Amino acid sequence: MRIPESDNNLSTSYDFAPEAGPSYVTLDKAGHSNGLSKENGHTIPVSNGTTSNGSPSMGNGIAKHNSSIARVSLPGTTLYDDAYVDREEFVRLVIQSLKDVGYIESAATLEAESGYSLEAPEVTQFRQHILHGAWAHAEPLLIQLGVTDEDALMDARFLIGKQKYLELLEAQKTTAALQVLRNDLAPYSTTSEQDELHALSSLMMCSDPEDLRRRSCWDGASGTSRRQLLADLQHYIPASIMIPQRRFSTLLAQSRLYQRNRCLYHNSPANPISFSLFSDHMCEKDAFPRITTTILEVHTDEVWNVAWSHDGTHLASASKDKTAIIWRIGPDAEPSSRDCIAEFILRDHPYCVGCLAWSLDDSILSTSADHLILLWNTKTGALIKTLETHAETVSALVWLPDGSGFMSASLDRKIVLWDMDGELRESWNDISIRVTDAAVTPDMTRLVAVGMGYIPPPTSGSLSRGHVRESSPPPVASNGNGNTIAPRSSENRMIVYDLKTRQVELSVHMEGELTSVKISDDSRFALINHAPDEIHLWDLEEFQLARKFTGQRQGHHVIRSCFGGIDGNFVISGSEDRNVYVWHRDTGALLEVLEGHGQGSVNSVAWNPCNRRMFASCSDDSTIRVWEAPPISAGELFRGLSIPESEPEIVGKGKGKVKQPWAHNYETL
Amino acid sequence: MGMKYRRYLAGERIYGCSKCKTHLATIHSMVSRAFNGQHGRAYLFDGVVNVVEGEPNDRQMTTGNHTVRDIYCVKCATVLGWKYDRAYEASQQYKEGKFILERNLLVDVQ
Repeated sequence: MRIPESDNNLSTSYDFAPEAGPSYVTLDKAGHSNGLSKENGHTIPVSNGTTSNGSPSMGNGIAKHNSSIARVSLPGTTLYDDAYVDREEFVRLVIQSLKDVGYIESAATLEAESGYSLEAPEVTQFRQHILHGAWAHAEPLLIQLGVTDEDALMDARFLIGKQKYLELLEAQKTTAALQVLRNDLAPYSTTSEQDELHALSSLMMCSDPEDLRRRSCWDGASGTSRRQLLADLQHYIPASIMIPQRRFSTLLAQSRLYQRNRCLYHNSPANPISFSLFSDHMCEKDAFPRITTTILEVHTDEVWNVAWSHDGTHLASASKDKTAIIWRIGPDAEPSSRDCIAEFILRDHPYCVGCLAWSLDDSILSTSADHLILLWNTKTGALIKTLETHAETVSALVWLPDGSGFMSASLDRKIVLWDMDGELRESWNDISIRVTDAAVTPDMTRLVAVGMGYIPPPTSGSLSRGHVRESSPPPVASNGNGNTIAPRSSENRMIVYDLKTRQVELSVHMEGELTSVKISDDSRFALINHAPDEIHLWDLEEFQLARKFTGQRQGHHVIRSCFGGIDGNFVISGSEDRNVYVWHRDTGALLEVLEGHGQGSVNSVAWNPCNRRMFASCSDDSTIRVWEAPPISAGELFRGLSIPESEPEIVGKGKGKVKQPWAHNYETL
Repeated sequence: MGMKYRRYLAGERIYGCSKCKTHLATIHSMVSRAFNGQHGRAYLFDGVVNVVEGEPNDRQMTTGNHTVRDIYCVKCATVLGWKYDRAYEASQQYKEGKFILERNLLVDVQ
């Protein structure tokens, strides 16, 4: 319903109201009564006449509204009888939101009908003065806005003075700027602000406005700086008097975060489709990739590692059979008709293949075979180069996020940095562990290495050659294969290095063998596989253990894990009990135990970097499994059918391409 | 089954494979130097690491009949010596479960 005077009202308001800022059009009301509604109770709307004490200049259009819109008088002060939500607060937030998006007329109507106004006229004026750079008018209003504390007042004035100073400098009015510095800033600056004052005065030397903006990290009078100043001043003004900008949206964002944190199977992007206001967000468990859609069978022995290309279209696998394979995983169409073929079988490995890493542009695949590093052209499958620097098994290959080359780490206690062409750039020798895995944080600040501690041989010969038996260690244990196990010679350790300085930031002793390190996309967490049977999540900012994931089996083999899903919401790991384990990262809750692989260990897992609903696992059973969510129709079908639990059998053989019917019900914990 | 890194030993003296330097045993686990192998002098050890054991077979040795298995380096597959499964002579049974490494196939490693 349209109110006749509205056009007039709208046009005046648009002079001032930029798209997102709260409008200054407001109902008149004594400023300070706004925040003090509770005691007054529901009598406020009645007693608080909207026409009596208004400011005439602004109230004009609205006064007419008031005559045509009846104020609704409601009992109590809360929104609903049984809720904690204060009605006035709620209505004012609605008014703010309406004005923000441009429903000025609706906002005015709501103000009239409810008797609540967004804010007092002083607040509106204050905002306008700040946004228009009318500093002299803005400052005296601070006290009226409830900035009564002396220190707060000083701080607020300092902030305003700083903006004023910068704007004068920007306008190249140096003399005026200097006066501001002397008269407005220096008197208000506390000792802690002295440094800032120095920095500000040094800006006098800036050659031009562009230089000023860059050096002060400030985007100028015509940028967002005045709005930012307003947000900064907000800290000193009671929120009930000047409501923080977009307050409703902030509350909704908090609600979304809460729902997202409770969503164990969360794997959908933050968009309005997956986060409707009308219902709580919850990702369907069925959308989790828990079904094998493809089994890759070409390797003739255990598959030890898998790695996705950065574009998510290819998968590389490393095997005990002394080959690596580059697989092309067909496009993300209907999974049941996806073509997956072994594009190149990289045969020239003299030893079993352990590590795999794709260059940032996916043009080179580096592999490791014992102490050797091999570089392969991924377009032709040709061997580019073999690097022989390491003396012992290479345990980690990592292409550096800045595109400068790659890093290798080895049990020979060396970490080597290579350029794009495989030329040695830098070698860190004699580090204190035999590295069993290493990773670099995406922000290039740190290198996290795990491995076995190295005990240097004693310098003094305490051993008498004639009495070999006496100095022998306690009896050795047998592992059942008739193989005797020598006494453990080492302690295990995680070391965090500053990548640039090579300084050790953290070195932690850990019981049990450490076999895998992965870093979260935000560079904050390191995920470390830890025998026996644990995965540790280390917080690299707090330098403390954040979480443990348990359930999987890891005794004596190299088992690897990784982050997965949107925002790295999941942790997945291989296991010596032939299952794939999936946890919710932030709670540590075990979500899935995925069966399917045959006898032996699941050695490694890798989440597709592009398709967040796909990952791969590799096993001693010589196969690689690609896991995806069941198609919707099949998912529907699943719920209706009861499928007997059975050992999923491997269908078909040897062609490197097997389609898995949607016929297996994978057990879930 | 599964991927394993080779074991690394610590101590005053570590014996490794002369071909690929893989750690095999320390002087701490040496029982005797007074053995002979196919390539001359050989040592008897309580325990060795990083070897693969072959099939058992009976061999007539200077000290009597024994059931032994050849042992191979896990990295380069060189035959390094053997392991005693069983000694038929009671006086030789102390060797059971122990390993022979040929001195000429060993090298000191770190």
